[in-house]
Amino acid sequence: MSPDRSPLTRQSLPLIAGGGALAIYALFFASSYDQRILTLSGIYVIMVLGYQFIFGHAGALSLAQGAFFGVGAYVTGILASQFGTGFLATFPLSIAGASLLALIVAVPVLRLASHYFALATLALSQLLLLIAVNWEPVTGGANGLPGVPPITIGDWQVTRGTQLLLFVWGLAVVAMLIARWQRNPLRTAMFTVMRDTPLAAPAFGIDPGLLRLRAFMLSAAFGGAAGALFVHTNRVVSPEVLGFGIMITCLTMTVVGGRLRILGAVIGALLLTHLPEWFRGLDEYYLVAVGVLLLVMVVFAPDGLASFVKPFRAVRAPIGTPTRPGTAGRTPPVAPGLPALEISGLSKRYGGIQALDEVGLSIGAGEIVGMIGPNGAGKTTLANIITGIARADSGAIRSAGLDLATATPTAIARGGIARTFQTPQLPDGLTVRDVIETAAANAGEAARDRARAAGAITSCDLTGIADVRSGTLPHGLRRRVEIARALAGGPHLLVLDEPAAGLAAAEQAEIADILRTIAAAGPAILVIDHNLEFLRPLATRLACLDAGRLIADGPRDDVLADTAVRAAYFGLVTAAGGAA
Amino acid sequence: MLGAQLALNAVALGAAYALVAIGFVLVLNATTAVNFAHGESVVAGGFAAVAMTAALAMLLPAGSAIPGIVLLPGVLVLTALLGLAIAALAYLPIRNRPPVSVFVTTIAFGIIVTNGLNAAFGAAPRAAPALLGTGTIDFLGVTASRQSLAIIATAALLIGALAFVLQRTQLGRQFRACAQDPEMARALGIRLTRITLLAFALGTAFAGAAGLLLAHQFFVTPSDGAGLILKAYIAVVIGGWGSLRGATIGAMLIAVFEVGVASVSSQPLAEGLLYVAVLLVLLVRPDGIFGEPQRLRA
Amino acid sequence: MSALPRILIVASALLATLTASAAAEPLRIPVLVPITGFLALEGTSQRNGAELALRGSGIAFDVDDTATSPEIAVNAFERALTSGRNREDVIAVVAPMLGTQMLALVPLADEFSVPMITVSGTARITELGSPNVFRFFPGDVVVKAAHARYAVEERGAKRPAVIFQTTAYGQSGRAELDRNLAALGRPAVFAEGLDVSVKDMLPVLSKVRDSGADALLLHLHSGPTALIVRQARAMGLDIPIIAGSAMHQPETAALLTPAELAGVCAESGASPISETDPATRAFAGAYRAAFDREPDAFALGQYDGVQMLRAAIRAGANSAADIRAYLAARRYRGLAMTYASDGKGNMAHSAVILCYSGDSRVPAIVKRYENLTGIL
Repeated sequence: MSPDRSPLTRQSLPLIAGGGALAIYALFFASSYDQRILTLSGIYVIMVLGYQFIFGHAGALSLAQGAFFGVGAYVTGILASQFGTGFLATFPLSIAGASLLALIVAVPVLRLASHYFALATLALSQLLLLIAVNWEPVTGGANGLPGVPPITIGDWQVTRGTQLLLFVWGLAVVAMLIARWQRNPLRTAMFTVMRDTPLAAPAFGIDPGLLRLRAFMLSAAFGGAAGALFVHTNRVVSPEVLGFGIMITCLTMTVVGGRLRILGAVIGALLLTHLPEWFRGLDEYYLVAVGVLLLVMVVFAPDGLASFVKPFRAVRAPIGTPTRPGTAGRTPPVAPGLPALEISGLSKRYGGIQALDEVGLSIGAGEIVGMIGPNGAGKTTLANIITGIARADSGAIRSAGLDLATATPTAIARGGIARTFQTPQLPDGLTVRDVIETAAANAGEAARDRARAAGAITSCDLTGIADVRSGTLPHGLRRRVEIARALAGGPHLLVLDEPAAGLAAAEQAEIADILRTIAAAGPAILVIDHNLEFLRPLATRLACLDAGRLIADGPRDDVLADTAVRAAYFGLVTAAGGAA
Repeated sequence: MLGAQLALNAVALGAAYALVAIGFVLVLNATTAVNFAHGESVVAGGFAAVAMTAALAMLLPAGSAIPGIVLLPGVLVLTALLGLAIAALAYLPIRNRPPVSVFVTTIAFGIIVTNGLNAAFGAAPRAAPALLGTGTIDFLGVTASRQSLAIIATAALLIGALAFVLQRTQLGRQFRACAQDPEMARALGIRLTRITLLAFALGTAFAGAAGLLLAHQFFVTPSDGAGLILKAYIAVVIGGWGSLRGATIGAMLIAVFEVGVASVSSQPLAEGLLYVAVLLVLLVRPDGIFGEPQRLRA
Repeated sequence: MSALPRILIVASALLATLTASAAAEPLRIPVLVPITGFLALEGTSQRNGAELALRGSGIAFDVDDTATSPEIAVNAFERALTSGRNREDVIAVVAPMLGTQMLALVPLADEFSVPMITVSGTARITELGSPNVFRFFPGDVVVKAAHARYAVEERGAKRPAVIFQTTAYGQSGRAELDRNLAALGRPAVFAEGLDVSVKDMLPVLSKVRDSGADALLLHLHSGPTALIVRQARAMGLDIPIIAGSAMHQPETAALLTPAELAGVCAESGASPISETDPATRAFAGAYRAAFDREPDAFALGQYDGVQMLRAAIRAGANSAADIRAYLAARRYRGLAMTYASDGKGNMAHSAVILCYSGDSRVPAIVKRYENLTGIL
């Protein structure tokens, strides 16, 4: 697929014309009032752009954006009004203050899920509001601090009106550029994975914690910047900047405009600052009208008004970009002879159930080992422990020198151990190629990533559907994409959890073929399944788990003939009145 | 005894907050929708009572007292209708869309209600009649206003009834099925739209009842909604998202801080300590006090 | 549908400017007050008072909501002055009583050189050195002096307790109350701030009782004032309650029974429904007929302020500068009191104390504090 950026589509021409007309109007025909509302819009654009990082891309319901806005506002407000500090000092300090706050609360708060995260950020905001209202000596209390001077840089005082408008929108454009830079195709895809298939994120080599932290801090920095500009525009700082109203405004603008796109921030901010002003003529009913319009807008455009405008980039740029921060390089494939997986004495108890009991296993490079056993035997638990999602109570587990007992899931994935899930974890909105390239992406190895991704696509025979969105694929193809995704990281061990479940016999055979080809190229494969028909032609070696214990491990036919295995599977009653 | 008196007040206030919270939880349990207009529904209930009182006063001889219990059916019906409106306009059209859109449509609905009430009734605080008459009852050294007792009794009754419905009846099972897996529920023949409308109507009716009770004891203003939804949200999350028991306990917790902690420190400090407590709880129990009824499985 | 949102915005904005072209217009006095939000009650009084005074005057007055934040107040101000109409027509602005909003508007009023008349009591707004602020309601400095003096001198309070609201209004008043009580040698033995949303007053009232206070001074908004009075009486706290101006408002009294109101007093600039002189009664009657509500001191203060503007116009003023000069230099005999500037824009220097007898919801004026600042 051609990776070139094509010129802007025809659709964006009216938009540019509209923006140009608005700019001309704002500079030459607008009243002081109109310019003020547009200035406020610009400030909100910055705040919403920031909010999109954590709320849109990272998919986390943060209610702290108002707090960051308020902190930025108060830092500038206090320093400028009480100490006369200039903009060149207060602006970075506002951004730093908000970001510092985000950093401090990030660790305990970011690991919380959805509404708990929202509540924590809400509690934080309300706490700050309380402090602002009651700490009168410093914040001026509920009255606030008047006398915030206009923006002063050296000798230049940015006057109210055209100068302030240009200044704010200049910074808004800078914010948009930063947002665009941060939202390159790879990172956007990573966020999509994190949002839509959170369980699989480590399997993609993505560290969700780091991604979220980055998004959270960016949102705080943008929020703080917006707050600083806000107090310069209103010339007072008072507790309303920390109030819940600002947060609601931000949320509403983001949803109405569009959560993910820069254009959405612009539309949302412009529209929602102007709406209440446009309806003023309706006297005490004007907010009712605003509410009605809001309701109508979201009902007709639940993904935001920006969703009606096609994306500007007609053809995507390649995902494999040179730098992806926070990743360590993947380890090269293990040299032949070293065990791809070495387990000894592994035990795990869940409450009253012994899920794994002194399990020992060793797999060499290129081997295909089938792990069989009835349901509830502990197979998936074993897979989870190998890939770091669960932790064993005791025992040792290593793979090519990496100690899996203490490594994080992301580190294990990057360390060369890939896994597929019982239900394929593919974000609906990404194409097959996107999925595989995201999984292949690595630090500083763009060309090799792409080669690996291409190889995975070919090995799994996905070339024909590479640009189809995975949400539209039938089950069989999804399973293949899942395998390709696991392969794309260049692993030396593949742990496959029921890779052919739910497929017809012919499709199962196809999967088996693919797996054989993969194993021949180097990686070891551990296939967890209870479908003996599927495993029989595929695995030369079988291991059998029953109630947490490894009851057989050896050549396929021997294991299949083993009486204990047959008893576990088929419930044969032995003469001694044994297994059920 | 001051301690007992404070305890009673805390329980009464907590019961009122719980009544607000459970309507919120009911809608949540049946539809996973977060109804940000819920606080305004409480206020609407209060004003419905005020309006009906004024209307009745014109028909009855001057000076006659109208007990609130007479107004209760009317308040429930009116707020149930409001709930249906919220469901029809702010939820059903976008029920298959991202849940964040529902936040904003319900916020918008709340704006409409608040400002509509402000324009229609004016901004002054208003009082509704007491449920079963004013006056106090003294027992065990504690002076309990009849309204406080009415609040506690009503809340206990309604929460108990709701718990029974949700856990023990077919309807309750249908509610929970709809929330957990709408497609499967539909496949099983459960009429999703009907359940949704019922949930919203019932949940908002609960809010209306809370509004009637609160409007006598604490008055009602059009702008009260925001504070109430904040408290409901805190109660529902801190107790464990979707848990009825959790929401009740969460509401009690808020009241304990507002009444109990405030009596030994100061009100602003008590409010601050509440938020600190919330953060500490989340630190130790990331899924709320009681955790969630269901969890994601790998 | 693609570029529609953007085009709509541009088109609407262009239309707005083009259609609102400046025709030859009469003098304008924009009325910028809170009509939505937690101060809407007082804001509506302001609007009504201004409206009553401007009826039949030929002066154009547009009412614009300032809600609760300084941001919206500044929007309203800019819109009133610069949006498509001739700025020169604006000779004065009726400004919101919310302290934070006034603080944000003052620099703007100075820049546009337009005088603002308000009934805000927040002390700070006349401390900023602006020549454009004129308040027609006694500021905290005045009313809190009356408040404290009545409590100490007339009711013999030796150990006063203070409960105030944690809003701009509350914190500003509390500061003045503390200062006055200290000056009288009777500092507060207990003081606590409450958020507007607090419902159960038992915690704070029990602390008042425990402190051994012999008088309770309130500086709260309407709803919380009524809640305190009711809950104090219900728990048997029988010490004198002297409340802030919120207690004089008929809407506040309407929330309580006459029995609960018995013995409760309040400070205010005036109490139009309590006065018996024909002029004030005429005003009250006209107000009732026009707005179907009882007037309060904020409405009366705003009415008086706007009437002074009309007096200025009758005297020949037809520009903002003229108005400002008139307000700064002249004296005006209004319904509530006589107004004159102290040089900083404080026009009202008298306050009253009113008390409820327990028979009705109409309070009686029990003490007048005239000319507390000595300006008149």
